Amino acid sequence: MKKLAIYTTVLALCGGAFYAVSAAEQAAPAQPAPEAAKEVVCFESRKGASEVTQRDIKPGWPNVKCSPKTGAALWYGDPYDGTVPMGKMPGLDKIPEGHAVIKPRSEKLALMPMCGVSCHNGVGPQFSPPTLPKGKKPVPLPTMEAMVPDLKDLQHGRGRIWCMDCHHTTQRNKLVDHFGDPISFDQPQLLCGKCHGDKLRDWRDGIHGKRIGEFTSTGKKRWFTCTECHNPHNVQDGARNRGFVQLQPEPSPQLPRGMKDASHEKLHPIPH
Amino acid sequence: MTPNETLPTDPAKEQSSECPVPPMSADPAANVLKTSRRDFLKSGGALSLSSLMGTAALMSQSGDAEAAVEWAEHFQKNYRLMTPAEKAEARLRLEKRYSDEYGKKVSVDTTEAQPGVLMGYALNIRKCIGCRRCVHACVAENNQSRGTKRPGEKIEWIQVLRMERGKFEQEKMNHGYPEGLGIQVGGNAYTPAGAVLEGQYHYNPEKVPEADATYMPIACMQCEKPPCVKVCPVRTTYREADGPVVIDYNWCIGCKMCMNACPYWARRFNLTTPVLPKEEMNPVTHYLGNRPRMRGVVEKCHWCLQRTRHDRYPACVEVCPVGARKFGNLLDPESEVSKILERKNVFRLKAELNTFPKFFYFYD
Ligand code: HEC
Ligand code: HEC
Ligand code: HEC
Repeated sequence: MKKLAIYTTVLALCGGAFYAVSAAEQAAPAQPAPEAAKEVVCFESRKGASEVTQRDIKPGWPNVKCSPKTGAALWYGDPYDGTVPMGKMPGLDKIPEGHAVIKPRSEKLALMPMCGVSCHNGVGPQFSPPTLPKGKKPVPLPTMEAMVPDLKDLQHGRGRIWCMDCHHTTQRNKLVDHFGDPISFDQPQLLCGKCHGDKLRDWRDGIHGKRIGEFTSTGKKRWFTCTECHNPHNVQDGARNRGFVQLQPEPSPQLPRGMKDASHEKLHPIPH
Repeated sequence: MTPNETLPTDPAKEQSSECPVPPMSADPAANVLKTSRRDFLKSGGALSLSSLMGTAALMSQSGDAEAAVEWAEHFQKNYRLMTPAEKAEARLRLEKRYSDEYGKKVSVDTTEAQPGVLMGYALNIRKCIGCRRCVHACVAENNQSRGTKRPGEKIEWIQVLRMERGKFEQEKMNHGYPEGLGIQVGGNAYTPAGAVLEGQYHYNPEKVPEADATYMPIACMQCEKPPCVKVCPVRTTYREADGPVVIDYNWCIGCKMCMNACPYWARRFNLTTPVLPKEEMNPVTHYLGNRPRMRGVVEKCHWCLQRTRHDRYPACVEVCPVGARKFGNLLDPESEVSKILERKNVFRLKAELNTFPKFFYFYD
């Protein structure tokens, strides 16, 4: 009975905080409406994961060009827009100081500032029983599912991994490494790398993932972090079930005369 | 050849490619005013004569800055034979002309190949999702013609081929090939046999990747033994010391021999006067790279020379959402392409032709 009461309180608190945030989000663009209408924002790799706002670096030279059709970033004038140094990363010692930069993830994570305060403070006697999990085994988490719908049916690891394999037990605004020490959300590669070592190695060598900027091996590059492309709570999504969600394609080439639409190619194959 | 380029629409062009009697002495001045050196070359045998006459006509009606520019361009040497001073002069001339034409400060870079650099490219064929962002990044960067009205007005250097994933079926085990002709040359349990080999270019689904398809982007492979360079009658296309095969657009006569020779369908022809709106024009250009082209010349991918000569990744590499495109210095063992060649399974397209592309396909 007592336990139930605590659950409800937690739910109410977290839910309250969440609704407050979403309300604020809805209200925000409404105020400077005429200004916001002109602003061009395009998404980078994964929709919803990272964006760039178009602005002119110098007259006629924008930091980014966006696709009028899909809203995707199509051209970078400034590859380092909104970046910070990557931080320490084992195996990247040869790169000169400040030449490896990333876009910080934490700014994108709307829930982060609240997690450790409203619910998971890691110590508070009021909350400690339900918020510090007893084990690492999967349990239903209706509160969390309400906030992040992807968590409802966690599509990562096919039932063999759960929240605490990635999130720190007592510090909820941190991820966790193999030793139980905290990792910043801005360095997800350290988290993912603990299970996907081969991918981490390829990523470090620039083979997996993406880097933009100067191509020379010591040049300044912006590195895309794992979560800019992969949604950690749903890596199985996508038609090919291999970790990247589907997106809308850019326009197709000009149709040659005599070809009315794209299906022509299918209906009139080149015979052999 | 891409399907786009089979459609001559311009009557003037038609005429010149058929090479009728050269319009020798008819009225050179009228002929010359609008056209440039390459048009003379095209009109056949008596080129030196008509060329000289054209120049005379130009000079006589000069005083006009534009004519002076054309006159200088007319006598410009093949880029490779120019002295540094001549290059600088050509550069200033072009910068002025483009700046006036596009209403903004346009720079024409002439940076040479750097020693110790050999550019290379690798594409992860398994990751490509067919979204075509590379195609459009390339257009935004490289000042291609982007008209929509007439065929051939829209030029794209990268083509993304959609290949259907076929399957073998029990029901078709006894189907013959060719169908219904008695003698069979092969079984046909595979669907969709025949449709896949050339790929599809114009696919346009709601979302990519589609479950039943794989995608294969192609563009210039920057061959070490480029067939296009071998056939060029005026030696205007050649391999630069750091790898890319480039074109001196001014020296191109538009004979399209290179387009026929290229086994990768990489070259495009400016059938019409390029449509390049002022506001979309990229003002940072290279002489051998993305400077605006004229009608009647061939163009193709040059690995964004204007960027890569200054260590910047090509535009297509930077926008690929899945990170399938990789670029680097093949001579640097630490570069990403060197690491790929060392560690991954790579192949070259049409390797049997011995063109030795520096563009590699790989997969994890
Ligand atoms: C594979 C590791 C992994 C697992 C398993 C995992 N997460 Fe996450 N989670 C992450 C990462 C990484 C981020 C940061 C995402 C980003 O950078 O976009 C994150 C973000 C979050 C956020 C913040 C979202 C926001 O928008 O602010 C919440 C809440 C969350 N996870 C809850 C959970 C819960 C609850 C579970 C268990 C059902 C869980 N996670 C399982 C890795 C994981
Ligand atoms: C605790 C270990 C663990 C961590 C940490 C982890 N993963 Fe995974 N990941 C797995 C397992 C297990 C699978 C499932 C492999 C399978 O069953 O085929 C998987 C699968 C994947 C897949 C393939 C999708 C598929 O088809 O299953 C991707 C992509 C992926 N993870 C990305 C990530 C990213 C990005 C991170 C960091 C945010 C991450 N992983 C962190 C364990 C982990
Ligand atoms: C630029 C985007 C991008 C970044 C950054 C990125 N990945 Fe991936 N990753 C992909 C794509 C696209 C695939 C799908 C490949 C495929 O379809 O075979 C993939 C596949 C995977 C897979 C599944 C591999 C398989 O064989 O099925 C794992 C695991 C993975 N990534 C882990 C990571 C980790 C760990 C990081 C960070 C160190 C990372 N990725 C960074 C785009 C990215």
